[in-house]
Amino acid sequence: MTTLALRQDGPGTEPVPGPRRRLLGLVVALVVLVVLLVLSVMIGSTAISPSVVWDALFHSSAGIDQFAIRDFRLPRTIVGLVVGVALGLSGALIQALTRNPLADPGILGVHAGASFAVTVAVGLLGIHDARGYMWFAFAGALIVTLLVLALGSTRQGSSPVVMVLAGVCIGSVLGGAREALQLTDPDAFDAMRYWNAGSIVGRPLEVMWPILPFFAVALILAFAVSGPLNALALGDELAVAQGVRLVRTRVLAVIALTLLAGGATAIAGPIGFVGLMVPHVARWIVGPHQRWIFVYSILLAPSLLLASDVLGRIVMRPVEIPVGVVTAFVGAPALVALARRKRASGL
Amino acid sequence: MSNSPLMRRGAALAAALMSASLVLTACGGDGGDTGDKAAKTRSVKAENGTIEVPVAPRRIVTIGNTSLPFIDLGGKPVGVTEVSDSDIDVLPEEQKSVYKAAEIVGSSGGEVDLEKLAGLKPDLILVQFHSNDWDKVGKRLETIAPTVFWGLDTEWKAFADAIAAAGNVTNALSRQKAEFKEKVAKIQKTYRKIIDDTSFVDVSRGDSSDPGTFYIADIGCSEIARDDVGLDLPEAAEGKDPLAYEALPFEQIGELSKYDVITYPVNAEGQPTEPFVPVVKTNTWKALPAVSSGRALGVFCPGNNSYGPVLRYLDSLDRALATLPAKK
Repeated sequence: MTTLALRQDGPGTEPVPGPRRRLLGLVVALVVLVVLLVLSVMIGSTAISPSVVWDALFHSSAGIDQFAIRDFRLPRTIVGLVVGVALGLSGALIQALTRNPLADPGILGVHAGASFAVTVAVGLLGIHDARGYMWFAFAGALIVTLLVLALGSTRQGSSPVVMVLAGVCIGSVLGGAREALQLTDPDAFDAMRYWNAGSIVGRPLEVMWPILPFFAVALILAFAVSGPLNALALGDELAVAQGVRLVRTRVLAVIALTLLAGGATAIAGPIGFVGLMVPHVARWIVGPHQRWIFVYSILLAPSLLLASDVLGRIVMRPVEIPVGVVTAFVGAPALVALARRKRASGL
Repeated sequence: MSNSPLMRRGAALAAALMSASLVLTACGGDGGDTGDKAAKTRSVKAENGTIEVPVAPRRIVTIGNTSLPFIDLGGKPVGVTEVSDSDIDVLPEEQKSVYKAAEIVGSSGGEVDLEKLAGLKPDLILVQFHSNDWDKVGKRLETIAPTVFWGLDTEWKAFADAIAAAGNVTNALSRQKAEFKEKVAKIQKTYRKIIDDTSFVDVSRGDSSDPGTFYIADIGCSEIARDDVGLDLPEAAEGKDPLAYEALPFEQIGELSKYDVITYPVNAEGQPTEPFVPVVKTNTWKALPAVSSGRALGVFCPGNNSYGPVLRYLDSLDRALATLPAKK
């Protein structure tokens, strides 16, 4: 059986939570997300009273603070929500696809492809506006993943191991090329500093709208392959015996996760840990059922992202810390704590 | 892991050969292009000590931040390190031509092509860059030609004096200094009441500013407006980093409402600079009292490291202050 899983306890070796616990957890996750959405609009580097926030959201008043809410906090919150959903779901997909609990979208070269393309856009073509280089990031992520998919497909079919190896190799080559470009062009390096850290600041909604249709397609594909991915977790042979078409499932899953992770990276830059950690937490709560893991990841990932972003706004007021930095600080200890739990998520 | 004595001797020999080859390249040629006057020397003091430089150097290479100030003083370097396109764009045409006529010897201060530089046979090298870069190449530059080095913290007027003295371009400097004094005095006299009664803030964004952020400029041209002209502009507390080092989120634009007048960067045509456009497009900016009452002034700052661009800045500031509506 082809597998990359570090732990070999497959489905069935862990107690599967009942439907009531899953539903209860879902309601709690939804409430947490709503609370964080509200906090994200309420809290910022400037102190604005709740009544003004209310006024800004539900009336057309034209005060400076009301504009600040509508111009900056609201779009930032919406971008955080969308990027979080995309990162969480893409993380769940890559972990299911590779049967590797340490996999995240970056392992297929998504971040490396996006970063290299942005470096070319900024350094060689002089594009400094996020709206301009966003498409380069998206295209870079897509091209690299298609390349990885092609390299990972042999006559015997597609292999997650070869795909991951191809992703790591291409990622390393592009990472080196990116650094070489940035070393010869310090201005490009400077301009990309913040993008590389991963941030949802200053991304107007116009940046996000064009990506949404891709996310919608990816969402449909992800849930379409959730059943076959469940069977795949039992091993290739058993999955085939259950009627799963391996190549089709893997190709559709890769397309979905690339659209999600590529789009999220294009909007916000490479944000680590969300796609890695959230599916773990989801699996811990709901067990190894992919469709539930996907639903939980869709709710929990934006919660983690928004909580990190809010934290980044207030710890060094008035200066802010990029959300990509905070997710690493918040996510790493939380993941270690979870991994040390007895029932931590095997695949 | 330590190197063997043989390897160390090999490395030392290679370094010696390289330095020797650079010296030979620099000293090669017929020497006919440097006359008697250039051969006479005088002493100048700089961060790398007291340097003996030619009385009238003829083949000067400028490295790091020395290129544009030297050209501004009428100097014609034979070699320069690259300057950013945005800095070149705002140069007067004749200075652009001088810059373009010079040989490019490196992309930035620390990345100097020493062989190419030596091939230009300079009789003086002027350098301003980070001390880390100086540590990397300083000694090797000194083997090529007399080299005068200033650190990045050198105050701009002292820097202009020093570069003019070292490069023998003091005539232009005297003229520029007199003009600077005259312009400052004129602004102070014309706008005395505004200077005394008005709180200003200078805000900006650069090409490399993080998306969704701006900063309060308290260095560069803003420093000249505050320290020389006397405008009431915010300044970092003693011993603290400049305010300009803090990237403020756009949300903080509303905090600017406590100032009477806001100045912001515009290009030579008077339009907001490209990096600053996202700020002026926000509704929060448009709702600021200073902006809605016509008290947000676009000011052109082509540079602040020599008198030429500073004089152009003062002209722009003068024109901007002239448009200021009376305070209600």
